[in-house]
Amino acid sequence: MCTTCGCEEATHDHRHEHVLDLEIDVLAKSKRYAADNRKWLAERGIRMINVMSSPGAGKTTLLERTIREAKKEFFVIEGDQATALDAERVKAAGARSIQINTGAGCHLDPHMVRHALEDLDPPRGSVVFVENVGNLVCPALFDLGEAERVVLLSTPEGDDKPLKYPHMFQTASLVLLNKIDLLEHVPFSLENFTLAVAKQSPRATVMHVSAWKGQGMGDFYGWLS
Amino acid sequence: MHELAIVESMVDAAEEHSGGRHVKRMVLQIGALSAVLPDAIRFAWDVATEGTLVEGAALDIVEVPGADVKIVRMEVA
Repeated sequence: MCTTCGCEEATHDHRHEHVLDLEIDVLAKSKRYAADNRKWLAERGIRMINVMSSPGAGKTTLLERTIREAKKEFFVIEGDQATALDAERVKAAGARSIQINTGAGCHLDPHMVRHALEDLDPPRGSVVFVENVGNLVCPALFDLGEAERVVLLSTPEGDDKPLKYPHMFQTASLVLLNKIDLLEHVPFSLENFTLAVAKQSPRATVMHVSAWKGQGMGDFYGWLS
Repeated sequence: MHELAIVESMVDAAEEHSGGRHVKRMVLQIGALSAVLPDAIRFAWDVATEGTLVEGAALDIVEVPGADVKIVRMEVA
């Protein structure tokens, strides 16, 4: 076997024009779409916030309450494998929304988000939430062109999650500990959580909220404004 | 399984650079901080390359430091 290219020929008489040395970033296309989204949003003064968590942590409930209480017009891009349930919920709360169904996909990508943005056509200066597919792993990898990333963790999930899912927490601008009203009913150590977040997300702002009961939500509205 | 999306991007890039020739072997560098799992890439490889210029190609994965995922070499027919 030729040791230069690994082909089957025993001698080295053949030419190696068929070996291409390259430097192709596999995510280059996705990064280009994200950069293009960022430019599109900047030109319109639109702030896009990528909201991520595991399924059931309370993303939609957070958005519903925010839409009802924060006295501002919001736009929402919803990502789920199936159904338009979440788009319906935030629409009922008063936001214009669009649902992306990813089918087998585990995350939103910047190309899908661009189409959704163009369809939503939010006005200059508005705030767009992207509620990503519920998943603490894959969405962390894909830049959508957002200005900020909000990562939710709910108390029933356990205080060790920032350590177990480092990629997600490392990229967060804001970490929201949700379902704080359940703190006394679940085995969750605020001290361990605080240490874990300090380790994984040293630059992130951290807030404790109950999106369902309303506790701490004023802090979130303050962060938004 | 975002690795399926990664392999699909690899196939796109390979077809763009192979000049229409069939790809026999591809060398992929995966950064340890990239959140891309070599085993999951291998798992997705056969399905995602089927019916493309990369179908049947051997895949060599080199794990490196850093966060990038790069195709560093292709052998084409």
